[in-house]
Amino acid sequence: MFRDGSRLERFTYGLAKWTAVAGGVALLAMITIVIASIIGRAFIWAGLKPIMGDYELVGIGMGFAAFSFIPWAHFERGHALVSILTDLFSTRVNAWILVITDMMMVVAAVFIAWRLWLGMLDKFRYHETTILLGMPLGWAYALGLIGAVVLIPVSVFVLGRSFTYALAGKREPHKSGDVL
Amino acid sequence: MTPIVLGLIGFPIVLVLIFLRVPIGLAMLGVGIAGSAMITGSLNPVMAQFKNLTYSTYANESLSVVPLFLLMGQFATLGGLSAGLFRAAASWLGHRKGGMAMAAIGASAGFGAICGSSLATAATMGRVALPELKKYGYSDALATGAIAAGGTLGILIPPSIILVIFAVLTEQNIAKLFMAAFVPGILAALGYMLVTAVYVRVWPEGGGVRPRASYRRRLHEFLAIWPVLLVFVMVIGGIYTGIFTPTEAAAVGAAGTGLIALAQGSLDFDKVIGAILATATSTAMIFLIVLGAAALNGFFALSQMPQVAAAWVAEQGFNPWLVMAVVLVFYLIMGCVMDSLSMILLTVPIIYPMMLGLDFGLPPDEFSIWFGILVLIVVEVGLITPPVGMNLFIINAMSPGTRMTETYRGVLPFVVSDIVRTAILVAFPPITLFMVWLLF
Repeated sequence: MFRDGSRLERFTYGLAKWTAVAGGVALLAMITIVIASIIGRAFIWAGLKPIMGDYELVGIGMGFAAFSFIPWAHFERGHALVSILTDLFSTRVNAWILVITDMMMVVAAVFIAWRLWLGMLDKFRYHETTILLGMPLGWAYALGLIGAVVLIPVSVFVLGRSFTYALAGKREPHKSGDVL
Repeated sequence: MTPIVLGLIGFPIVLVLIFLRVPIGLAMLGVGIAGSAMITGSLNPVMAQFKNLTYSTYANESLSVVPLFLLMGQFATLGGLSAGLFRAAASWLGHRKGGMAMAAIGASAGFGAICGSSLATAATMGRVALPELKKYGYSDALATGAIAAGGTLGILIPPSIILVIFAVLTEQNIAKLFMAAFVPGILAALGYMLVTAVYVRVWPEGGGVRPRASYRRRLHEFLAIWPVLLVFVMVIGGIYTGIFTPTEAAAVGAAGTGLIALAQGSLDFDKVIGAILATATSTAMIFLIVLGAAALNGFFALSQMPQVAAAWVAEQGFNPWLVMAVVLVFYLIMGCVMDSLSMILLTVPIIYPMMLGLDFGLPPDEFSIWFGILVLIVVEVGLITPPVGMNLFIINAMSPGTRMTETYRGVLPFVVSDIVRTAILVAFPPITLFMVWLLF
């Protein structure tokens, strides 16, 4: 059920991928806003003006984008790690280390989403808003919550995947994970 | 246990977890949360903290520079700018001894000026330059070594993602750091070219020459790289002159390289998705470590360990320059096993206050900038030192039939030049700082 090419795998892949792409679209929208604002600023003499609160919009867009990228990075195993010591261990040991770290990721995913959810409720309750535009911060948190929530099923799938490989005593095939 | 003891054992625990292949951000996050809870004797403060900490870390306007610069690099790669840069550099340098390898280095420097990441620079240059170098009879060792070393220019020459992170961590001005990085970055490129020139004289079989290109041709090739120059001038010039904030400059850069890629006809739907996903992976990786660092530094601040350690070092009356040497060597060694960004986020919050307490005859602001550039250089050397220099792996994998040991041998002279350059920059802070003095 967790094997490559299974229905569940294709679904999780699609979920992680398109969430990340949505974040990328937000990134492109941020670029557009910033550039529109720069043009507005440059042509004040011609009656244009910069976009009010462009920084707040960029911050909110960044919140959404940054959270939405995590499931994809986790699915593709893009996280930075040090394998110089564990390379000396057997395939089997490494497979189980992966299972344990994947469990940690599930715990972290649930913890982050749960606290973010409560943080969002606080923001709504106290009607906190951004300074210039007066946008409710609760909605900004809600946008971040999308990626944080998607990470939960994705991290559970990734755990199931590494568990399946560990049981079979095999190494998980290398993913493309881009590093810096 | 007292808070300070907890702080002191917290750091080695993070290291042990990291060496057991726990993702670095996750290890820092876990120890940060556990440590804070142990010091306060309750989970409640951490629980309350995390209602906002994740969001405020991720929705950070200064950090939005990171994905924007990453996207800019992706578009620059898709736009085929590396090929144009290499052709131009080769037309000017290719006929010299070792000239094609120098051209690869020069083109990497040019690409580094519009890309903030080393691996992206190494990868794109490898694709373009490696076949050419082999065609003109360069040895596998020199070809792979020079391109791997050239890749580090992606980060050394501004814009640089690592400097953005350092600026956020130490609350320094990104524009000043970019400014300060400029001359050391150029020195790095010149140093690598010098190494190449010496290399092919000591081992003449290492490099070949290409027929001299006419000046007409050179001018033509040089003019063909105008889009790169334009983007560089807008991004870096915009930041230096203060016309753009770093976020604005990064947005302009991403849009600029995006338009170039579009004009080249190399930007279809799938490519855009690919560029977004690559940006997503790197961004998520960086941000997870930034989040982990935020949690870990919250714990360290509670434990007061960094202040106590800094006070202890200051009290011992060590020679500051000796401490600097020890710290830089420590980074060089750590860089052999860990990626540069993780290393900076893990250690700078402890080491930076310690170094700030020592007297190098510089005002704190200038010291921070100088120290940032030095750290940047030594952690980047980690990308080209065995056993886990990522640039070496990438370039070696592109060159089938080249043994890893040959690549190690080829890159060694470049590492030596890095160490010499670091020593010079340590001894003469004005080399790094005069651009900052000049323009601020």
